[in-house]
Amino acid sequence: MGDVKLVKKRISPMIKEVLTRFFSKPVTEKYPFVTTEVPEGFRGKQLFNIDLCISCGLCSRDCPSNAIEMVEVDGKRRPLFHLDLCIFCYQCAESCPRNAIKSSVFFELASNDKKDLILKPEANNKTGGSD
Amino acid sequence: MLAINEILFNIQELLGDNAQIKKFFLGKATIVINAKSIKDVVARLVKNDSTLGLSAITGIDLDKTIGLLYHLRTSEGIVTIKTEVSKGKPIISSITNIIPGANFHEREAADLFGIIFKDHPNLKRLVLPDNWPNDLYPLRKDANLEDISKSRDNFSYKIDGSQSQEDSLVNIIVGPQHPALLEPEKFSLKVDGEIVKYVEPRIGYVHRGVEKAAEKKTYLQDVYLVERICGICNACHASAFVESVEKILGTQVPDRGKYIRTVILELNRLHSHLLLLGHAGLEIGYETLFQYLWRDREPVMDLTEMLTGNRVIASSLTIGGVRRDIKETHIPIIKKQMIYLRERMIFYKDLFENEPSIKLRTKNVGVLSTQDAIKLCVVGPVARASGVPIDVRKDDPYEAYGEIPFKLVTRNDGDAYSRLMVRLEELFESINIIDYAIDNLPKGPYRIKVPRVVSAGEVVNRVEAPRGELLYYLKSNGSAYPERVKVRTPTFSNIPAFQKTIIGENMADVPANIVSLDPCFSCTDR
Repeated sequence: MGDVKLVKKRISPMIKEVLTRFFSKPVTEKYPFVTTEVPEGFRGKQLFNIDLCISCGLCSRDCPSNAIEMVEVDGKRRPLFHLDLCIFCYQCAESCPRNAIKSSVFFELASNDKKDLILKPEANNKTGGSD
Repeated sequence: MLAINEILFNIQELLGDNAQIKKFFLGKATIVINAKSIKDVVARLVKNDSTLGLSAITGIDLDKTIGLLYHLRTSEGIVTIKTEVSKGKPIISSITNIIPGANFHEREAADLFGIIFKDHPNLKRLVLPDNWPNDLYPLRKDANLEDISKSRDNFSYKIDGSQSQEDSLVNIIVGPQHPALLEPEKFSLKVDGEIVKYVEPRIGYVHRGVEKAAEKKTYLQDVYLVERICGICNACHASAFVESVEKILGTQVPDRGKYIRTVILELNRLHSHLLLLGHAGLEIGYETLFQYLWRDREPVMDLTEMLTGNRVIASSLTIGGVRRDIKETHIPIIKKQMIYLRERMIFYKDLFENEPSIKLRTKNVGVLSTQDAIKLCVVGPVARASGVPIDVRKDDPYEAYGEIPFKLVTRNDGDAYSRLMVRLEELFESINIIDYAIDNLPKGPYRIKVPRVVSAGEVVNRVEAPRGELLYYLKSNGSAYPERVKVRTPTFSNIPAFQKTIIGENMADVPANIVSLDPCFSCTDR
């Protein structure tokens, strides 16, 4: 234990700090009752645009966590995103030569079912996903 | 510390033609010697200059033999001593009795490469699990890791820390499920009443084999892998790795890229130090401090999120620069938050200097003398609090640190309080660095295109992570995959300090003692 003699007699600055906080509103947000703002450029769930995809497979090759599987859709190889494996580094978006993969600020991905976390490349659904 | 030319002269004098010297290779110079003379060489160097430190021991599989690289820390940079031992009979003299800080490094090499360090005081398992097969050394290239589960019978499981019948000491085991640190590690303490007499640390409970995994991924994928070694200092790991690759490639990162990297790295440091100071509050029973410091950490997290797209894992650095630019609209926000943070830091400095409860728990607790700090080769704030002025940002400037003025914070007391205060004062320096970098942000590109295949070469690179010197050794063989990635994290070097400082202190001071080292076992068990 430390030396008792070192201590000067003075009221701790923390007491004033704590007392002033009694009269201001809480710092914490009441999530999920209020929506949380995330900044522009946040790396959330991917948006895949199948019309721009040229089936090159670069996204799948560069993915550090093997979260992108190339699957056959209407005779062409398209990326299928396993969001449960995804580490949201967005290397796929960077590697894509046609900007077919874009970021979104959607982050509420928690689910009880892994199937919800598969982002299928579907022609009629530009945002993909099962939801 | 000894100058490099003197080191080289000394070795030449001792060994004559038996030592080959390559200048400006693996740090400032590499000395290739015979394995038999390692002890003589190190003893000679330490005799000449007692402040010489060991940064790391890297093992590397060289097909027929196993290479051992001793990275020594000098004032001018890293000097590497390179030697080889045969695979069939990998025996080399231990240097632990000359440099006590080599203890953990040798035990790790023994675990991962099967090297036998003769005369090592305690060559027990350190990073691998107790039930790991006896003759399987995972970082050797010929290690067959697929049938580990089958060879589980071939292990020597022994319960550690069995109580000796003779003495009256009581064993207290802290961990692996640690009540406060949230990361698994074990400290077996022997106490006599309230006084700690002996401590035996054991790490490796979350060893993930990142070094091995990195050999199986491309350089680009490895950037994201090494970043995930540690959440808190993620950008530091990425920085150390991408710089190593850039050094082999000979890439010059654009100035703007370097400045943006510096901002991200300093945000990392602010995050880490604020987190630790808050955590220290929690450990010493001052939860108010913890809550308020973590509240004031939020602006740092928000800035990281704004600049990189994620609160914690920045994924901002890449080979050849950074992935995102700092936009004009970001600058006023960063400046505003820095003003707020500086104001808050002035408050906390006043608090740490005048609050009785902080001083009572940390002052004169866990004193590490300057001599011990040098001998145990500790790094970062732990070394600086004991009066050892080492900081990679000053000693071996990287990114934009060579151009940015900042003060090296040191203290001389070496107690837990000094270690916390060094970090608190470094926060001011970090804020100044970010301010300077934002004001002097160069124009131009922030990244350049680099080839995917890296030419053959090897390099040692270090950065100053929030917890101290972080060392990377990278060897490439000309393919798209690295041959060897060695990561020596700061906490790995700092744990031996705990073994020293806790002896003779109260059991109740253990938490304050551990937390003042800022241990990160996620880093250590990479």
